[in-house]
Amino acid sequence: MVFFFVRRLLAAVPTLLAVLTLVFVIVRIVPGDPALVILGDQATPEAAAALRARLGLDRPLWEQYLSFLGNALTGDFGNSLVTGRPILAEVGAVLPHTIDLTVAAMLFGVIIGVPVGIWAALHRNRAIDVAARILSLFGLSFPVFVSGIFALLLFSLHWRLFPVIGSANLDDPADRLHKLVLPAVTLGLVMAAYITRVTRSAMLASLSEDYIRTARAKGVPWRRVVWVHGLRNASLPIVTVVGLYVGILLGNSVLTEIVFNRPGLGKIIVGALNQRDYTMLQGLMVIYCFLIVVVNAVTDLLYGVLDPRVQAT
Amino acid sequence: MKGLRAALLGTAFAVAATAAAQAQSGPTLRVGMAAQDVGRLDPHFAVSTIDRVVVAWMFSGLVRFKPGSIDPSEIEPDLAERWETSADGRTWTFHLRRGVQFHGGFGELTAEDVVFSLRKSGTAASSAFAADFRAFQTVEAVDSHTVRIVLRENVPSLLGILTNYSGGFIVSRRAVEQRGADFVRAPIGTGPFALDRVTPNQSAELVAHAQYFRGTPQLGRVSYRFIPSDASRDLAFQNRELDVNYGRADQTWINRTRQVPNTVVDVFEPGELAILNLNTRQPPFNDIRVRQALAHAVNRAELVRFRGQDVAREGQSVVPRGYLGFAQQPLLPPDTNRARQLLAEAGHPNGLTVRVIHTQLPEMLTMMQVIQQQLRRSGITLDLQVVEHATFHQQIRQDLSPLVYYSAARFPVADIYLTQFWHGRSRVQTPTAVTNFSHCDQADAQIDAARVSTNVEEQKRLWAEAQQILVQNVCGVPLIETLLVFARRDNVDYGYQLRGSMSLGPVITEQTRIR
Amino acid sequence: MSAASDSRTPAEAVAPPPPAAWKRALAKARSNPTTMVGALICLAILLGAVLAPWIAPHDPAEQNILDRLLPPGGDYPLGTDQFGRDILSRLLWGARISLSVSLSAIAIAMVIGGAIGMVSGYIGGRFDLITMQVMDVLLSFPSLILGLIVVALLGPDLVNLIVAIALTAIAPFARIARAPTLALKERAFVEAGRALGFSHTRILFRHILPNITSEVMVMATLWLATAVRVEASLSFIGLGVKPPTPTWGGMTRDGFENILDSAWLATLPGLAILLLVLGLNMVGDGLRDATDPKLRNE
Repeated sequence: MVFFFVRRLLAAVPTLLAVLTLVFVIVRIVPGDPALVILGDQATPEAAAALRARLGLDRPLWEQYLSFLGNALTGDFGNSLVTGRPILAEVGAVLPHTIDLTVAAMLFGVIIGVPVGIWAALHRNRAIDVAARILSLFGLSFPVFVSGIFALLLFSLHWRLFPVIGSANLDDPADRLHKLVLPAVTLGLVMAAYITRVTRSAMLASLSEDYIRTARAKGVPWRRVVWVHGLRNASLPIVTVVGLYVGILLGNSVLTEIVFNRPGLGKIIVGALNQRDYTMLQGLMVIYCFLIVVVNAVTDLLYGVLDPRVQAT
Repeated sequence: MKGLRAALLGTAFAVAATAAAQAQSGPTLRVGMAAQDVGRLDPHFAVSTIDRVVVAWMFSGLVRFKPGSIDPSEIEPDLAERWETSADGRTWTFHLRRGVQFHGGFGELTAEDVVFSLRKSGTAASSAFAADFRAFQTVEAVDSHTVRIVLRENVPSLLGILTNYSGGFIVSRRAVEQRGADFVRAPIGTGPFALDRVTPNQSAELVAHAQYFRGTPQLGRVSYRFIPSDASRDLAFQNRELDVNYGRADQTWINRTRQVPNTVVDVFEPGELAILNLNTRQPPFNDIRVRQALAHAVNRAELVRFRGQDVAREGQSVVPRGYLGFAQQPLLPPDTNRARQLLAEAGHPNGLTVRVIHTQLPEMLTMMQVIQQQLRRSGITLDLQVVEHATFHQQIRQDLSPLVYYSAARFPVADIYLTQFWHGRSRVQTPTAVTNFSHCDQADAQIDAARVSTNVEEQKRLWAEAQQILVQNVCGVPLIETLLVFARRDNVDYGYQLRGSMSLGPVITEQTRIR
Repeated sequence: MSAASDSRTPAEAVAPPPPAAWKRALAKARSNPTTMVGALICLAILLGAVLAPWIAPHDPAEQNILDRLLPPGGDYPLGTDQFGRDILSRLLWGARISLSVSLSAIAIAMVIGGAIGMVSGYIGGRFDLITMQVMDVLLSFPSLILGLIVVALLGPDLVNLIVAIALTAIAPFARIARAPTLALKERAFVEAGRALGFSHTRILFRHILPNITSEVMVMATLWLATAVRVEASLSFIGLGVKPPTPTWGGMTRDGFENILDSAWLATLPGLAILLLVLGLNMVGDGLRDATDPKLRNE
């Protein structure tokens, strides 16, 4: 299994390399000069040139590219051009917030989505099913920042249940959880909607399979048929959707972080784009890709566990 | 792995700093700032408002503005107890205060630190403010507590350069040498507060510097929190999650905040003067009639109304009012018909479309949209190319925008503003460029003569003449001056009356307290 | 249907008549109330967008500094924003941007993605492998992040916004067009066409394209909803169309900064986005149910 995992990661290296090269090139051919961000608006061209030299931005592109790749291979993404702090430390400091948010949103989606989906499938075309389908359509259609603003207006401004500043103290579990609720639910809403729909159709398909009918005919209790055989069969498409959706969650976490004022990867990326912090952008891209590759590998691994036909070797 | 090591090293610094800071019993002041994060905490690279505000709490200069004031005539001793000037005004000798301690056990301040700091400030590779030190010939230590500065030529305000602002901050030589590149995240100064740690994207935490030479600060800690969204920050302030809050220079905001119980809103100097800089070398603004038309199309009173009477006032010259040497000029009045007539005379009977590069920074974008609307009434269409802020700064320096909206405050002496914005040497696209987007050089003689003049009255006359020339040539159209706004809970006592601050935020001193 | 009783060429004779399937799907979708409600919502918004110049009570860019931040009512049915501009008029005009950006982006993605998928599947072999790998890279990137980077780097304006959104949607279209092409190219009528010496272009356009249209169209409806959402999200982050052009995402963003005094500034455009995305999702959903053979058999 470890071998499988490592092989998956290695297989992703070309993808990573492609993305890295692309980001490296794009970031440098578009306008915007980090030297001006650092030196401010009174800087003379001489001063800007001196700073660019000190930051290594005056070297030929291929040289910058090689040293960037070389360092990246050893896990060194350098320092942020703007704050001068190491990128790994910067990202490391906010990563827990993003992971908290993404994982909590995912859990929320699964905890709500799977039971509701099964429930709807079992009551096909009845009121519950129709309600679940309409609600899930709503959930699917809510742009995260819109639902976030509504949540903020209701729960923080009107009922004052949750704080407005979402930056939690990582060392205080209660504070961390308290500040996680609103953003995670907001972000998880779309996920829940997706999972409800996938679970519903997967369960419907699974329950119409021959062997389920056979099991029922043989007198296996209905509850057991649903939960053991039906769900097991339906779990594959659900896992696929969850895996696919982690990427979307990471993307949407940008909006959630803005609305709820949470530190996180999304906030950093917006800041780095605005300040043309090349090194930060490069580092972030690698980290994003890495996260997505890991999620994909985990999804594949789960496939192997769930479906004996896929060999995880 | 190097990255990891650097990260660990950073942590080690933070830990060391914490250990060095003595246990503090005073209360914590929580300040909310519109920011993603702080930048480099080397004071000589602190160019953004976000960074300027916080370095002023950690560092001192040889002299300082009286807390709460930006009046150059009120500059008072800080690290230097006293100073002497030679008869020709070119040699200055500063006598340092004894027993001033750096943060984190970096020892007593000596002349070496001052010489090192000023040389660092004056070197382009290690400072963003090197240009301010152009007139410096030598800086040297006479003895352990005496520093001598020799100037090449007279400067209008040498003390201004040496205040607790921009390049004047004094750093610990030993700390810079020991920490190298890491100094920017573990800075060492002599101010009332020392950096404890920075949590990226969240806050910078400061602790009181118990050995501060004016006495142990009354506050124990200052927590400088980064909250980019105005709405969230305001709400946090209302919910008492913050004691001091960065405010929006906007009447609606001020009125609403004043209604929050136990709240004081401070509106203070310096005013940032916004000017539409017109490129006089390129069409369409190489025709003075088009420039005059644009000046007639702008309605300053309406802009003030938009921003609010409490925070905004009409610009009166190409230099902000209140600056030493400012002289009010007769500006062209708003007159749509006259504007259209001038445009027609200049060969644009059907109006004119100008492609303008502008920043997406919300405050500047908002103002530009109001101006866009005003100009539209006179037949001038602004085709706004909105780019992010760094690109904006780069592209306007490449003459890509014939009209540049620029808003700035500088050291309050006319010379700096005139030199950076209106002197031929500062024209963009030249090696000595700063921010002269109009390419005007008609007032160079007056600006240069005033700089080296030792007669104050003569200086003022020359500066006034320069402003008159620039306004007559319509090199730029002054818009409005916008003041700074901060709100505080009424139990916060800064220890002085906040009328102005060159660091663009309230200076937190040893006397600041929470009642 | 036998070739003998038909005057058409054998290859064309054996090709299934696709328009019938499409019609059947439409008929089925029409009987679904959800789809109809969704269609009505979309139609209403489309109408508002098209008629904006005639029905909007004010000029969407006209600022009235004395009438700033007015609550709904009176001269301004939905209130005014921080510049004193009429919200209703801006919403109506904003619908034009939302719709035109998303429609053009999806049209571009559909044509490019569809072509890539079709050609890639048809050619097969190593070319197919590499193309699909590139598509996978595109697909694995969160569309919002991809859009964010493209717009931030190219600069926010209408064309770049369309390019960015189109880019995020190309890969799914390539995938959906490729799968049926792979199956179709082994089918008798395509082989027959090839045997008759038809050019590749003719086979692709006459035989394969008509057979994948319905799937691609359903996909387009669903992705239209995503495109509207991405456009709104980018505008909300501040990477939208340049001012004073109104966009719903941009209006929500401006409103968010004034949320303490004037909540309607953020909620009204937010609701508009929700409504349009919901309508599109409802239509797309109904269409998919109607065309998905798996669900049809249920």
